Amino acid sequence: MGDFLPWLFIIVASAAMVAGLFSLWLSLSLALSDEVLGGARAALISDARLTLLAEKEALLQEIRDVSFEHDADKISDSDFEELNEKLRAQARQLLHELDAGVESFRGEAEALIAERLADEA
Amino acid sequence: MPAFDIPFFGTLVLSLILISASYTMAVAMGAGQGRPHLLPSARWGTYATCALVLVAVCVLAYAFQVHDFRIRYVARYSDRSMPWWYLISSLWGGQDGSLLWWAFLLSGYTFFATRWLRGRHIELQPWILATLMSILIFFVILMLFAANPFATYIRTTPGDGEGLNPLLQNYWMAIHPPSLYMGFVGWSVPFAILIAALITGRLGNEWVRAARLWSMIAWTFLSLGLLLGCLWSYEELGWGGYWAWDPVENASFLPWLVGTAYLHSVLIQERRHMMRVWNVFLLALTFFLTIFGTFLTRSGLIASVHSFARSDIGQYFVWYMGFLIIGIAALIIWRLPKLKAENEIESLMSREFAFLLNNWVLLGMMMFVLIATTFPLLSEWVRGEEVTVGPGFYNKWMAPLGIVLLFLAGLGPLVAWRKATGSKLLRAMAFPIGVGVSVAVLQILFGARLGYPPIIEPTEIYDTTTGTVLAWLSAVAPLVSFATCAFVLASVGQEFWRGMRVRMRKGENAGTALLRLTSKGRRRYGGYIVHIGIVFMYIGFTGAAYDIEQESALRPGETMSIGQHTVRYDQPRMEADPNKRMIFTDMTLIDDSGNEDGQVAPAKFIYRTHPQMPTTEVAIRSRPAEDVYVIMSTVDPSTRRGTFRVIIRPLVAWIWFGGIVLLLGAILGMWPTGREMLREEVARPGRFRFSPATAVVALAIVVATMMAWAGVASAQNDSSSSLHAGSVVINDPVERQLFGRLLCQCGDCARLPLDTCACGWADDKRVEIRSLLAAGEEPTKIQESYRAQYGAKALAIPSDKGLDRALWAVPVAAMVFAVGFIVMMGRRWQRRGVAAHTAATAAASTAALQYDSRLDEELDRLEDS
Repeated sequence: MGDFLPWLFIIVASAAMVAGLFSLWLSLSLALSDEVLGGARAALISDARLTLLAEKEALLQEIRDVSFEHDADKISDSDFEELNEKLRAQARQLLHELDAGVESFRGEAEALIAERLADEA
Repeated sequence: MPAFDIPFFGTLVLSLILISASYTMAVAMGAGQGRPHLLPSARWGTYATCALVLVAVCVLAYAFQVHDFRIRYVARYSDRSMPWWYLISSLWGGQDGSLLWWAFLLSGYTFFATRWLRGRHIELQPWILATLMSILIFFVILMLFAANPFATYIRTTPGDGEGLNPLLQNYWMAIHPPSLYMGFVGWSVPFAILIAALITGRLGNEWVRAARLWSMIAWTFLSLGLLLGCLWSYEELGWGGYWAWDPVENASFLPWLVGTAYLHSVLIQERRHMMRVWNVFLLALTFFLTIFGTFLTRSGLIASVHSFARSDIGQYFVWYMGFLIIGIAALIIWRLPKLKAENEIESLMSREFAFLLNNWVLLGMMMFVLIATTFPLLSEWVRGEEVTVGPGFYNKWMAPLGIVLLFLAGLGPLVAWRKATGSKLLRAMAFPIGVGVSVAVLQILFGARLGYPPIIEPTEIYDTTTGTVLAWLSAVAPLVSFATCAFVLASVGQEFWRGMRVRMRKGENAGTALLRLTSKGRRRYGGYIVHIGIVFMYIGFTGAAYDIEQESALRPGETMSIGQHTVRYDQPRMEADPNKRMIFTDMTLIDDSGNEDGQVAPAKFIYRTHPQMPTTEVAIRSRPAEDVYVIMSTVDPSTRRGTFRVIIRPLVAWIWFGGIVLLLGAILGMWPTGREMLREEVARPGRFRFSPATAVVALAIVVATMMAWAGVASAQNDSSSSLHAGSVVINDPVERQLFGRLLCQCGDCARLPLDTCACGWADDKRVEIRSLLAAGEEPTKIQESYRAQYGAKALAIPSDKGLDRALWAVPVAAMVFAVGFIVMMGRRWQRRGVAAHTAATAAASTAALQYDSRLDEELDRLEDS
């Protein structure tokens, strides 16, 4: 093992050096290119929607937990009804916002595609 | 010696890393400032930087393997006789190499975080990369300008190296520092996510979700590192303990305390969109404390058995910490309007408020440890007087706080989120309190007979009322601790049972219910299992109250009795390997029935490179009820007569077992859901992608491998080494109390009190003090004259008057103020919360009711996933 290790380190270092220099060259060429990536903007849009979706998931989880705590006899019926109704109202509102948002996202996405097609043309 | 100029090449690679990281940081910042097309460029720059760090580490590792003693670091921390595995662990055995190792781990985290970020958190991503690069730049600057691991000797190159410190030639040292560093460095990723959120103003729950997994990974490694550190101290330092409140131990404990507070507090933000400023503060403080801890270890400002030599890298850290404080404070103040809470606490009887109390205790403990660790420095700066804060101070003050924290670990799970119904909470607490009280009664009735008396002899650290109160608190601590442990176990057990019962009502059998309950609520039940692990660890800590210790000089064939055990000294034995000579003393343990109960072989190792520093290798026979810890102090080669110190340490094994349970709970809490894994597969079918799933699996593999390695290593060699080669005999409680307050002044064993230090100087001093006590001298007078002779730093605990009192008065005052503030704010939040709740409910009634059925569908989907 002791005889083999120095060679292993040389091989790993050489491979890492090649990978590092290649990545650096790739990075420089991307930074210096004029190409404007439509994908980045599209990703920004999808990012906003993903945030809303994550909020929805968290809210659903909270509704489930409140229900679980009620079933486990930690919360009285009246407290549960009050909390559950409030959380469900928030979730309904969020679903509504997500639905409404789809339309504007679609508009923006179509504009992006059109812009990209025009650029390519 | 290789002809290739390794030192020059290594330094060149470090320079390349600096250039690459600076370039990547600039490009990433450009991407964050409205030029998103630069983001792929920043990502590739990050990969390039990480690859270059790997090159640097491989070059240094190669230099160690081929014994390139042109490099100063290689010559100082290795020699030709060392086996290959210690040549690898030498990479982090000294200051310069450990900085490179730190950079390497950071680059590893950065690489995986960059992979994970692909397609995620697009707006945060540039700033995350820029922040990570900025941290890396700091460490590379340190290496290039203050602690270059590739630096060479100016004149001649030595023919052989000085060798690694014998204390570090131990299997625990092979895994303890990497794990601890993984924990320290791991907080960089959540910190970078936080900074990105502050800069972009995206301060909702997005950054919290993004940082969740990374915080858990860092916390888990930090916990593992602390645990392995305890094992190293227990087996390697040979003083019989596992935690000495050494400044370097404290430095790693501080971020753990604050990180734990953050992991609890952030749950409130995730669920209730509250406590945003507090969570930002906690996460930033955790990261800051990792840097502060590194500063303490490496600046050499505070004496410690762990710290590296005094060096000038401290000033770099001071500048960096100053920059961090100003930068973070400015960002928080700038973003205060966006950090406003969306909700208020609705009831003081809620999980949220229990978490606030948990934060209060954790931060209180942090204040105590921080002030006590830095007090010697502050005292020297403010009044020019050196003082020492020994383990006695920490043990006395931290024990009650620890028990309060333990109690909260049992109370929290019983309380519902938002608002617990009072009568139901009382009903839920009845069983755990009943179990706790029953255990206390049983201990009062039978404890003394079983060797676990409920109340132990009080020892005072001060001759004041505070000292008396603390002494009595610690005297009853075993009783309260065992009762609280039982309370927490019953509380967590009841939570599992109540959850199972809910599922069993739906027709599942007990086994299926437990399995599904745990698998569907991994974070919740993983957290509960962590609490169980903490309870087991507390059982082990409490066992320290019942230690028994004895020393005897024996000839071969003679025996000594201690507790229920008899130890027979059989014979001395000599062995040698290329690295050292080893003198073993074979001993047999005999149980109370007279049967042989195992063999131990404490030893002394004399290393070829450090003949002046023979190490004492302890032998430990570990059982769940107690450890038998045997130290061979001396052995005379001509008469074969040996001096042995035997310590019976009850319940220590529970600490290690609790640690394993804690780690398993943490891994369960991180384990990704089926949906998370499924989503990854849908997103990129057939391609490997770094995901929470792969992160957790990787973590599990690493932890399992480390434990397996530790187990194998432990089986291979059941002994370890120590700096101390003498012995300690304590005759009565007055001696124990007095010796515990006086520190050895021989110059080599700083911080060790006379009731522990086994060197010749301490032995002579004990004889001298005993004669004074026999002559009727008051212990307080002896203490005063010791202080007058050697200065304030010779006392293990500063006095309870004047500025010294600030040591405990400041954290106590801060905690009293904080609890008042929390209760006052809690009441105010509660009033506002109820009002907001009423308004929200009214508004909600007008919301789109047509989504009701879809909501039910979504909830069903969640239940099925």
